[in-house]
Amino acid sequence: MNEVLLEVDTIHTFIGQFHILEGVSLKVRAGSITALLGRNGAGKTTTLRSIMGLNPPRSGSIRLGGEAINGRPAYEIAYLGVGYVPEHRAIFRDLTVEENLRLAERKRGDLARRSDFIMSLFPDLKRFYRHPGGKLSGGQQQMLAIARALVPDNRLLLIDEPSEGLAPIIVEQIVAALRQMATETTILLVEQNFALAAQLADEYYILDDGRSVQHGRMADLTRDHATIDKYLGAG
Amino acid sequence: MIELIQRRRGLIAGIIAIILFGMWASTQYEPRVLASILLSGLTLGALYFLVTSGLSLIFGLMDVLNFAHGTLFMIGAYIGFTLYANPRLLLNTLPFGLALVAGWILARWLPANSLPSGHRRPLWVAAVLVGLFAIWNFELAPLATTALSSGGRVPTEQAQAPTPIFIARALGLAVAGVIAGAAFLAGREHTRRPERRDLIVPIILLALALLIAPLRLTLEEWLLSLDSNTRFLLALLIGAGGGAALGGLMEWSLIRPLYSRPIYQVLVTLGLVFVGTELVKGVWGPGGYFMELPAWFSQRGPNCPSPNLIAWLQDNCASIDVLGRPFPSYRIFIIALGILMFVGIAVLLRYTRLGMIIRAGVQDGEMVQALGINVRRVFTLVFALGAGLAALGGVAAAPFLGISPGLGQEFQLQAFIAVVIGGMGSFTGAAIGSLLVGLARAFGDQIVLTGIQLPWMSEAMTFSPSIARASTVLIMALVLLLRPAGLFGKKE
Amino acid sequence: MRERLKSSQWAGLGLIGGLVIFPFVIALLTGQPVDAGVPKFWQGMLIQVFILAVFAMSYDILMGYTGILSFGHALFFGTGAYTVGILLKHAGWDLGAALLAVIVIALVQSLIIGLLSLRVSGVYFAMVTLAFAQMAFLLAEATDFRQWTGAEDGLQSIPVPAWISPTNERLRFYYVTLGFTIVMYLLARQVVNSPTGKVMMAIRDNETRAKVLGYHALTFKLIAITVSGIMAALAGAFNALWNLNANPAVLGVGTTINALLMTIIGGVGSLIGPMLGAGVIQLLGYWLNVFFGPSWPLLFGIIYILIVLFLPYGIIGTWRLRGASWMALWRKRLQELRARL
Repeated sequence: MNEVLLEVDTIHTFIGQFHILEGVSLKVRAGSITALLGRNGAGKTTTLRSIMGLNPPRSGSIRLGGEAINGRPAYEIAYLGVGYVPEHRAIFRDLTVEENLRLAERKRGDLARRSDFIMSLFPDLKRFYRHPGGKLSGGQQQMLAIARALVPDNRLLLIDEPSEGLAPIIVEQIVAALRQMATETTILLVEQNFALAAQLADEYYILDDGRSVQHGRMADLTRDHATIDKYLGAG
Repeated sequence: MIELIQRRRGLIAGIIAIILFGMWASTQYEPRVLASILLSGLTLGALYFLVTSGLSLIFGLMDVLNFAHGTLFMIGAYIGFTLYANPRLLLNTLPFGLALVAGWILARWLPANSLPSGHRRPLWVAAVLVGLFAIWNFELAPLATTALSSGGRVPTEQAQAPTPIFIARALGLAVAGVIAGAAFLAGREHTRRPERRDLIVPIILLALALLIAPLRLTLEEWLLSLDSNTRFLLALLIGAGGGAALGGLMEWSLIRPLYSRPIYQVLVTLGLVFVGTELVKGVWGPGGYFMELPAWFSQRGPNCPSPNLIAWLQDNCASIDVLGRPFPSYRIFIIALGILMFVGIAVLLRYTRLGMIIRAGVQDGEMVQALGINVRRVFTLVFALGAGLAALGGVAAAPFLGISPGLGQEFQLQAFIAVVIGGMGSFTGAAIGSLLVGLARAFGDQIVLTGIQLPWMSEAMTFSPSIARASTVLIMALVLLLRPAGLFGKKE
Repeated sequence: MRERLKSSQWAGLGLIGGLVIFPFVIALLTGQPVDAGVPKFWQGMLIQVFILAVFAMSYDILMGYTGILSFGHALFFGTGAYTVGILLKHAGWDLGAALLAVIVIALVQSLIIGLLSLRVSGVYFAMVTLAFAQMAFLLAEATDFRQWTGAEDGLQSIPVPAWISPTNERLRFYYVTLGFTIVMYLLARQVVNSPTGKVMMAIRDNETRAKVLGYHALTFKLIAITVSGIMAALAGAFNALWNLNANPAVLGVGTTINALLMTIIGGVGSLIGPMLGAGVIQLLGYWLNVFFGPSWPLLFGIIYILIVLFLPYGIIGTWRLRGASWMALWRKRLQELRARL
């Protein structure tokens, strides 16, 4: 077993006055893909945002490679090697594809170094290199959002709903890319589409009502229909 | 095509209105009069643009509507004017600021975690008390007002504190800075380790402060002995720099703690209008000043007015011939400055990393943060940039409009109107809106001069300049009725 | 059916009673006649408090109850002052007719300003209203209307009817202003407690939801602006009567800041808060003026900023938030003290 890269220990997160996470704990092993499952509103996105420092937890601890990162501003967490791919493809619509990628550089030359790898994963981006992000199709925007997280050397990628609202053929492309990426980095993936998550992930965590309720090896979960029905609804 | 027309109908309506107005104006005025009205309009528009561009950038990026932007314009004018005509005031206060900042940075070297958060409040109080003690009985007014009584030139040393006392005050402020820095760091968990520059920078600042102290008079004489053009450029530079520093300080100290309470940010900036105006009245007195034109724009002679711009480069006449009518050359300079800044900002936004961050931040500041960019620092930077632009406008306006504590409010009003017309948060909108308001003001001033005579009137109706100033509000009302988001604004 | 008065109502009645006998109490304490010297001075102080209290209250109907941030409230205040001044001085109207005209003009004015400015919201609204107020300020200074407005000198020596002359009949003026303030307070309370007021608050809390529930938000915002505008104009009219003049400053930014300051210091979203704030500001201004002379506006501004930064809920709001725990703390300490004794 690989060492633990990310360790989240009973975090409680509030948004405004609402208590969203009521004790989420999870461990992500280096070099693995870990899926975060659960119904809508279970707190999956908030968990990612808490790790990223966008909704800092009020209590509990988050450690990256043994170093406590909770309470640090998001840009410092990013600098420690965490990449974030938010849901709804939050790319910068007024910036070109190139500018979107360039913005993600943490030091000069990041993009030049990684460009070939990124373009081999997502050839479309090369074609629209100088087009504004807003002019891309939904799938291409998703690719750009993922590509943006690949520009610097990230130890951990937080990816939120990469397949949401995309055509199957595009999803396939993205799945292939995620597989490729998993060979060199660690991924914490939020995914509604269980089949897809099952296909990709090594381990899983299930969230329900802001708590982590169950975890284990993905291979075991696919056979455990009772759990799937209980926590993941009819899908 | 039809879609384009529908989407841009506000803009198209604006263009048509301008064309119609232009046709009317060209029948009303002969070309040379029209040309000088247009140039006057461009001059005002350029000044308004310096205010609106910052206002719009700041609003676009951080959703803060800075009501004190006009006040920064006014303060910039005062700082620039002071350097131009009476550097004594700056030379006698600058070391204090330097010492304070030096102390503040030095506080980083205090052992980390030695200060529990409970010490924060007492430390702040101590810092304020030490600071007040250090500048006790230090009077600014005599330093500032000598310029007025002596026609812009300062005689000699009266009203200056003796050097030892002055140095003692500066050191006292450095101590206050250290205490304040400690108060700021008290109880903070994540402080970065002090680096070498945290030692070098404060030592340079402190050395500078201690160096200026005994050399105040010499420096002053040296500055005043420079020719007026150099002093003028220095005034532009220092005015803009001072404004930028003030803007950055303002964002960092008053705006930043309030990002979670946006309404209160606006309330604070409105309060700063009041404080800034009163402060200026307190230091420079409630009356106005007049700033002399530098030599480049004030020569008179047999060759004047210069027949064209090329000739002006040689003879530096106060005015340039435009279609047979003299037009002040300084106003041409203001127009050029406005265009330069427009191009400069456009280049900054389009081609630099900072510009890229700004454009991205306008859409989604959080995501920029998640990419590893310290957005807060960019906010401070952009606030400083906007403030610096406004202050630059203030210095540029000073020789043309004179300086008074009310200068800011007038520009604030016209800038707001320009922003409403152009559309908030749009850089192009800010430019076009400023231009329109400037032109409207120029025509208003012309009408004030000649009166307006409609067919049924036996004699022309005349107005006072106040009415011309107030009338731009009507244009704003019209735009609000037709297109509330402004000509270039995006519908929400 | 008679209901028992709540304790707050008793407190209100007590306060009114106290204010009614206040001039005589001061006279008794100082041994001076009620219409001269110290008693007369303090009546003057309170008259200004009353006028500002109505002005601040009108501001809070907009800001605190409807959630509209206006930076042009001086427009209404100043228009009221100028209207009453011009009608009394140049048109020779009697006071009642002039006040009626103030109401009508304020009504029309607030409708026009409201219809134009409400096309934008949030800080834009603040910006646009500020522009309108500044326009009025410029017009008041314009030399074109000197024969009516007195341009930058303002309207001097407004002929206030002898029976309520603030100089000769101070006590009567005091009671008239007190009565005016009470009536305005009751009216404002009627408005905010009515179904209309409830809708205003719903708009403040969540405009989209209020719209979904079927309320025409613009109508209710207009009502709020109109009510607020009329109250502010009447306060401005009284201010002109009290000062016997109206100058461009009543239309300036300072006047709006004053309203904001009183509202915030007292507590946003209540009627009593702003009135309390008016009292605090008036007395504070007086003391600052005594101690610091001409530099007091600067201190005033600094205090305003400090309050916005550190006391955002004002006196009433902070009391509502913390009052119960403070009271409990005090009770506990008292008990401890008793136990120890």
